[in-house]
Amino acid sequence: MKKKSILVIVIGIVVLAVIGYNYLYQDHREISSEKPMAELSSESISEIFKNDAANDLLNATVSVKGVISEIDESTLTLDGKVTCSFADIPSDYRVGDSINVKGRCIGYDDLFEIVKLDQCSIQN
Amino acid sequence: MKKIFFVLSMISLLTLSTHAQEKLKTKTGEITFEASVPSFEEVKATNENVSAILNSETGEFAALALVKGFRFKVALMEEHFNENYMESSTYPKAVFKGIIQNFDSSSVTNSPTELVINGSVTMHGETKELSTAVKLWKEGSTIVLSTSFVMKPGDFNIKIPAVVSNKIAEEVTVDAQFSLTK
Repeated sequence: MKKKSILVIVIGIVVLAVIGYNYLYQDHREISSEKPMAELSSESISEIFKNDAANDLLNATVSVKGVISEIDESTLTLDGKVTCSFADIPSDYRVGDSINVKGRCIGYDDLFEIVKLDQCSIQN
Repeated sequence: MKKIFFVLSMISLLTLSTHAQEKLKTKTGEITFEASVPSFEEVKATNENVSAILNSETGEFAALALVKGFRFKVALMEEHFNENYMESSTYPKAVFKGIIQNFDSSSVTNSPTELVINGSVTMHGETKELSTAVKLWKEGSTIVLSTSFVMKPGDFNIKIPAVVSNKIAEEVTVDAQFSLTK
């Protein structure tokens, strides 16, 4: 009887520890496998931010369509309005290509007047 | 004769105007901050998408980091940072604006020169003066600006709950580097 209750307590502690560990060290969101909350054009997402109506978009996964206007080491800029950062930039794209990018919207940058997305992936 | 004078003045005007528009910029500046306490979980995050502009005529410098762009190793820490400490939905940006003292773009060489920048940081709805040393050097046609300084969460009205206060350092070390190009 005593043995049994000790066993129950030990199992209880182990279960709690596993739950606790999984809570503390939960995985990061995987943006590339999330369904976009909104599908927008570079023009429309930039308008939403300029009108300060973007609270729903902050931290949300969105997909944005546009034409590449600038390519740099880790980012693609669409129509000079949306800058998308990638962990690994896809190499086979050029300025002028039309693409659809999915990423997490992190906010509006007043310095360059662009919307920024991170953890991007290309969807076509 | 008149024609030549006109052409000459146009050329000088053109060169003047391009000279005055010397803005060096980046969209992928990097800021890392660390508030770790020895023997506790590392409290450290990096933002690799910081925007910055340097006016090479006047030494004016501005940088803007989107708070949600800071990535932590531990996902829950990132969530708490955004929701409880920085309240990044209400205050999405951290901005620095300042002037590099005695800045002269022609004196920036391949080896780092140290200058002082004076300005202010605005985040979490509070503004605080910041004066710190910056290192500047050239890498080809880019000017690299690098700095390191200490900030206190209390200065920006960021409250750290007592339960975790022994796991988060009171002084946060911030390292920033910007590779500025035309």
